[in-house]
Amino acid sequence: MLGKLDRRVLLRAVAVFLVVAVAITVALSTGGSADAATGSAASGGGSSLLLQNLFNGIVFGLLLALASVGLSLIYGTTALSNFAHGEMVTFGAMITYFLATPQAVTFPLLPFEFKINMPFLPAVLVGIAIAVFFGWVQDKMIWSQLRRRRVGMVQQMIVSIGLSLALVNFIQWWMGGRPVRLTTSIDPRHQYGPISVGNVTLISMAIAIIALIGVAFFLQRTRLGRATRAVSDNPALASASGIKVDSIIRIVWMMAAGLAALGGILLALYQQGIGFDDGTKLLMMMFAAVTLGGLGHPYGALVGSLIIGIVAEVSTVWLAPDLKFATALFILIIVLLVRPQGILGRAERVG
Amino acid sequence: MDILIQVLTTAIAPSTAAFALAAIGLNFHFGLTGLLNMGHAGFMLLGMYGFAISLREGWPIWLAVLVGLAAAALFALLLGWPTLKLRGDYLAIVTIAAAEMVRFLGRSQSLAELTGASTGIRGSDFKAPFEELSPFADSMVEIGPFAMHGTRSSSWWLTLVTWGLVGVFALVFWRLSKSPWGRVLKGIREDEDAVRSLGKNVYSYKMQALVIGGVIGALAGMLWAIGNSVQPDAMGRPTTFWIWTLLLLGGAATVFGPVLGAILFWSGLTLIKALASAFIPSDVLAPTSLEPFSLVLVGVALMFLVVFRPQGVLGNKKELAFNG
Repeated sequence: MLGKLDRRVLLRAVAVFLVVAVAITVALSTGGSADAATGSAASGGGSSLLLQNLFNGIVFGLLLALASVGLSLIYGTTALSNFAHGEMVTFGAMITYFLATPQAVTFPLLPFEFKINMPFLPAVLVGIAIAVFFGWVQDKMIWSQLRRRRVGMVQQMIVSIGLSLALVNFIQWWMGGRPVRLTTSIDPRHQYGPISVGNVTLISMAIAIIALIGVAFFLQRTRLGRATRAVSDNPALASASGIKVDSIIRIVWMMAAGLAALGGILLALYQQGIGFDDGTKLLMMMFAAVTLGGLGHPYGALVGSLIIGIVAEVSTVWLAPDLKFATALFILIIVLLVRPQGILGRAERVG
Repeated sequence: MDILIQVLTTAIAPSTAAFALAAIGLNFHFGLTGLLNMGHAGFMLLGMYGFAISLREGWPIWLAVLVGLAAAALFALLLGWPTLKLRGDYLAIVTIAAAEMVRFLGRSQSLAELTGASTGIRGSDFKAPFEELSPFADSMVEIGPFAMHGTRSSSWWLTLVTWGLVGVFALVFWRLSKSPWGRVLKGIREDEDAVRSLGKNVYSYKMQALVIGGVIGALAGMLWAIGNSVQPDAMGRPTTFWIWTLLLLGGAATVFGPVLGAILFWSGLTLIKALASAFIPSDVLAPTSLEPFSLVLVGVALMFLVVFRPQGVLGNKKELAFNG
């Protein structure tokens, strides 16, 4: 059973998504006709380029959503803006590379090299398991301690910044400055109408969608998920009604770490390689997505991610590709001007 | 002995002074008003772009400085407008996003004519007018154990100017924080609603603090650029986090905290790197790993600092600015 409020929020999410889709279609058709009207050499290529970019945007948005749903859940249950979440994304991909690569690997401060060379799929599963464990360790060693000491939210945020700085440099120290590739095989691309797409991308999309549906199912239909939403709504009240708030938060951290790692692995496959600071760069996009959708609202993170992904990719039709992140951040600032609580957030006093 | 001289040279270097000045700017934001500006490097970058581009176009140096400062002031107004009415972490997210946006724009190929894209603007394109003002010799000058050029780039001339400005703005901070205006800002930091109920326009006060701190940050960016060059990627998020670390290390809301913090931070970093390369064998820690290794330590130091000694070296525990 969906609660009354949830149904309303879901409806609003669907409505927003439809509006955005319509807006993009309109932009697409006018863009296409403008192209035809100017009669440029690339006429006809204009709208298919748009479609391709729209598709790329959806793929990127789905991968972004995997990472930002965790960020949003953490914000929802603990009110922490976790600046170290981008490193969780990189970490997932890097640990998978560490396990799967046929090349010799090493670990910081170990003076020798060794090979693990696991088959790819087990490496992915073990990698995600390690990431989930890392999420558990992080909450156990850092965040639950800070909560117990009643350290303020702003201080915790700065702690997460310190953690982010430490982790990103640790990953650089560990893996070096150059991007690594998880697989060396070349992914054949297929043409579906105007859109060309590789098999790996299609599988990644499917996995991302399944994982996101899994999260939604968990939140809506399981006891734990309901408890998570209760904590997210009001920790004190949840605690009073017998929910173990600290265990719920620990589960959220584990889930967030696992989802981020999965997102990182899929991202590394999608963009054919991952550098030590790719997750860090992605963090801004995640914050944009989460704020856009409404801070602490898991479905908001999904909607926000799709919008950010689509905006970033579609903007490359008109603007230089190296401006796509700047465009997405610009959208974030505009949205904060107009609707600071985000698209799905309830209007409330936020200051 | 070599290590000691290395550390001391870092302690008096112009870029250390530039970071101290940037931290004084951030101290207006965070220390005095409690604003979470996580995009201070963006202000610095805007300042150095305004300064260097104007000079490259042959404008006089005073005008170039004004252009840089005006760019930062405008940026602060633009950022503050939507966010200063919202909760603190919104300002954090927006400032960090906006600073990254400035960097992305600066390094974009489409603006290469203006900003030089990711290579930035070479020092030789804009440093001459500043160096012509130098009263020092145009050659290497040794004072005690320190050897620096008299005039060029990271010179004695720049050292004098940067530390002089650090002194001036430390004084300005001290006077302003003791003034009625500064007391209102501190009141906002401690309890916004209380100040509002006294009839003060909190939004306007916050905006003033944001603009002043941002302008000081821009000035720091210009001085940094004279010592190095205009480099968008040197002014990314890590730079902002370093400024935060050194401000918290020295002690937020204190007059000398930013200065002490900058000196301790940069000479400490030099010391760690020198000791590590001298004593840790290179098959355990390769020379290329020294930089990330020392920055891991910075990150960990920041975490411990915030939890266990949030007031820093000089700060007062009662004057804590962590109210979000």
